[in-house]
Amino acid sequence: MNISQNKENSFGLKSTIPFFTILFLIIVMVLPYKFTVVGDIMPFLTLIGVYYWSVFKPELLPVSVVFVLGLFQDILLGSPLGLMSLLLVVVQQFIFFQGRQFLERDFLFNWFVFVMLVIGFGVLSWGITSLYFRAVLDYWGVIGQILLTIAFYPIITWILGLAKKMVS
Amino acid sequence: MKGFGQRFTAFFFVIASIALLIFGRSQTSLIEQMRAQVFDIFIPVITVVDIPREATSSLSDWVRNIAVVYSDNEFLREENANLKRQLTESTELEIDNLRLKNLLKIKDGTVTTITASRIVSDSNSPFFKSMLINSGTSDGVKKGHAVVNDEGVIGRTINVAANSSRVLLLNDINSRIPVKFAENGVNVILAGDNSQLLRINFMPEDEQVAVGDVILTSGMGGVFPPDLPVGAVSEITALGEIKIEPAVNLDRLNYVSVIEYEIASFPILNLDQAGENNVPEQEGGQQ
Repeated sequence: MNISQNKENSFGLKSTIPFFTILFLIIVMVLPYKFTVVGDIMPFLTLIGVYYWSVFKPELLPVSVVFVLGLFQDILLGSPLGLMSLLLVVVQQFIFFQGRQFLERDFLFNWFVFVMLVIGFGVLSWGITSLYFRAVLDYWGVIGQILLTIAFYPIITWILGLAKKMVS
Repeated sequence: MKGFGQRFTAFFFVIASIALLIFGRSQTSLIEQMRAQVFDIFIPVITVVDIPREATSSLSDWVRNIAVVYSDNEFLREENANLKRQLTESTELEIDNLRLKNLLKIKDGTVTTITASRIVSDSNSPFFKSMLINSGTSDGVKKGHAVVNDEGVIGRTINVAANSSRVLLLNDINSRIPVKFAENGVNVILAGDNSQLLRINFMPEDEQVAVGDVILTSGMGGVFPPDLPVGAVSEITALGEIKIEPAVNLDRLNYVSVIEYEIASFPILNLDQAGENNVPEQEGGQQ
């Protein structure tokens, strides 16, 4: 018990790396940059960040931090306040429910689980936003976001993997 | 026990998020103030992160401009000759217009350019169409100011902080703008639905519309000055839905202008004041 506590304390400033990497992904999401083909949509980069750190270093990403990051994302995106915090907290709880041991396997297995997760995340975000605006919103945009997120997963996890080495 | 505690904490944050979603719908002014404070803090961070993209974009623009400078020069010479011809015609029309307005005692409103701003961030979401600009209350920007560029209308400010503001774009699902058809002056409401094209609401059934018809601001509502270009009819569906393509390419924006429109006070609206001025005379008459 003491050993693990000492180990957690010894992370120091490094323990904030998950928080700052996800915050960085939020900022990248709101940069005024457009992909030539898909126009004004961005992949759910924060979802990749929350998924990655919840699987590999869950002790450094408590639910309160995920909630705050979700709020930051809502504020910067201009989305209804509470939307992203709700979705990201639910995603993290889903990962914890599955169990780290289940997910901490090879890359392809993780990617496959992530594909299932991002589809659920996209459908849920579309459903809640439609409910919030009391209108059936166009779903093609969210399909594009889901596909982009799946495509970006290897790149972002590779970058996060470099960050993880700093924490380990 | 630890697992129960974690689940309880997660449950608390889920409830807190749902509460924020519900609270945000009704108590929007408080939420808006809080949002404004937070995104104002983030603006310098976003600007720093954006430096590599900005530098790359500037470099590619510079290379492109150098490559097309000769053909651009030829085109601009021709355009200049055309514009000189049009200027003579429009000056005559302007004089006519002014004379008619004087005859009808019509007063124009005043349009003031508050500031020119750079776009710092974009919602980049299929559900929300807004962007942050680097001007706020310290530059004179207020909630409800119109945001335009040289091509036409972009949107209006909905949330203003000290050094930044959020602009609701024309194509956001919450955007409604009073516009008119340039050809026949029919007043309609232009609504966004988060797609690239806008749609017309409340179109009178007996009015004819054709693809290519130009849409301008009507000046009603007092946010946008009249006669600013908004877009053109791009499609009329089988169900009679009119789709409008915005005059501004909302995906390729870098700089915008924030303007304030002040509606002219018409003589008819000053009846109360005139009445007050006449009161002593009336009272005197009665006495």
